[in-house]
Amino acid sequence: MKRNTPLITLLVGAALGVVLLISNMLATPSGKPVSYSAAAASAASVPATAAAPSSPAPAVTESSPAPATSSAAPAESSEAPGQSPAESSPAVSQPASAPSPKPTRTTPTRATYTARVGGGGGSVAVAVHGSKAIAYVCNGSSVEGWMRGKVENGKLTLTGKNNAHLTATYHAGKVSGDVEAHGTDYSFSAPTASKSSGLYEATVSVQGKTIKAGWIVLGDGTQLGSLEPNAESGEDAVTAPKLDLATMTARLGNLVLHAVPVDGVTGSGF
Amino acid sequence: MTAGPTQPIPLPRRPAKPAASLTSMLIVPSLIGALVALALGIYGRVHSPTGIAINIAGFSSPGTVKSWLATGATLFAIVQVVSALVMYGKIPRVTAPDWIGALHRWSGRIAFLLAVPVAIHCLYALGFQQYSTRVLLHSVFGCLFFGAFTVKMLILPKRDLPGWVLPVVGAMVFTLLVVIWLTSAYWFFSTFGIKR
Repeated sequence: MKRNTPLITLLVGAALGVVLLISNMLATPSGKPVSYSAAAASAASVPATAAAPSSPAPAVTESSPAPATSSAAPAESSEAPGQSPAESSPAVSQPASAPSPKPTRTTPTRATYTARVGGGGGSVAVAVHGSKAIAYVCNGSSVEGWMRGKVENGKLTLTGKNNAHLTATYHAGKVSGDVEAHGTDYSFSAPTASKSSGLYEATVSVQGKTIKAGWIVLGDGTQLGSLEPNAESGEDAVTAPKLDLATMTARLGNLVLHAVPVDGVTGSGF
Repeated sequence: MTAGPTQPIPLPRRPAKPAASLTSMLIVPSLIGALVALALGIYGRVHSPTGIAINIAGFSSPGTVKSWLATGATLFAIVQVVSALVMYGKIPRVTAPDWIGALHRWSGRIAFLLAVPVAIHCLYALGFQQYSTRVLLHSVFGCLFFGAFTVKMLILPKRDLPGWVLPVVGAMVFTLLVVIWLTSAYWFFSTFGIKR
């Protein structure tokens, strides 16, 4: 063999690495991240049986993050429609018209808003990405709900499982409105999230059950999180383990949950 | 006698004193390898993990893709060890066939190329983490593996190495790969079951 073949091997490997890295960088930060269902990434679960049909095409954003209502969809596609036809349909039908933010709008069309709800009993986060929005409200315990929906003419209308819903309007850099989840009604007025604050979610499937956790981190560092131990069944949520923002992980017994931001600016989680 | 220690691939003439040039032959590749490991670790630590990356079609999740690629790499690495043993005549009653060198080279290349996408996914989507012993070991040894592999590739063409050097470095590379496989794919399959 020629003497420098090992060097060629090394360089080919390095080149492959660089190409992969660059293609990752090109693919992820844009508004269309290749988000396979969040934590599935590394907490590494996803039941092979159920997920098989939907996952080979994780490059296609839409299917994956779909909080609450449609989190059922990736795992058990058959169940989603029957379970919550009302709210899953908007989630499914929206992919067509993500972009086209109207130039006249004064409020950013890509932003995340976080705040305590009125009364202080919980937190709410709203991520707006173009015409789509995802919201999460939780009290760090059983009252919580993921919602998805649309933004039209500065109005947000979002729905989720168990009649969770949110209506809000843009006003002066804030999103203000009402949200109801788990039978509890809150009003809120949320400013845009700062660098440290935001909404995070982790989804992991273990033994056929989808565990879905959400955390809202406020500007002052306060963190509230709830965890649905069996997202498809509608079982009551419990307090989520603390999310370590440095590593974006939370430990649930032996399980490590890997969180991803749900961010209106980058489109992560949409 | 220093046969150009600063070049990546010095091609030393037959040295009068092999012992003297041994240091220079090993030191530069080792430094480069150390830098590679360090660079990977620093990137993994500084780059904020995205949690997501490009996936490969046909698998249920990136975890499974990586586990299978890593398992493939480890299997080829076992071929490496066996073929090396044959080349060195360490297996009784087996004489090295003339294709053994090609087998060794190609299994090594394939193993390495299988490992690269796994590492990129780790670095880009997950980063250097330490939230458990397994993860810390995996992060550390993952970086060291590519450093050690670099060393191996850089010293391979050198002709005047003492006989023990390549086997020792090769064993090191293999051991590191097995450790990172045990702390990732083996853990994955034993936790979530073997699946595609």
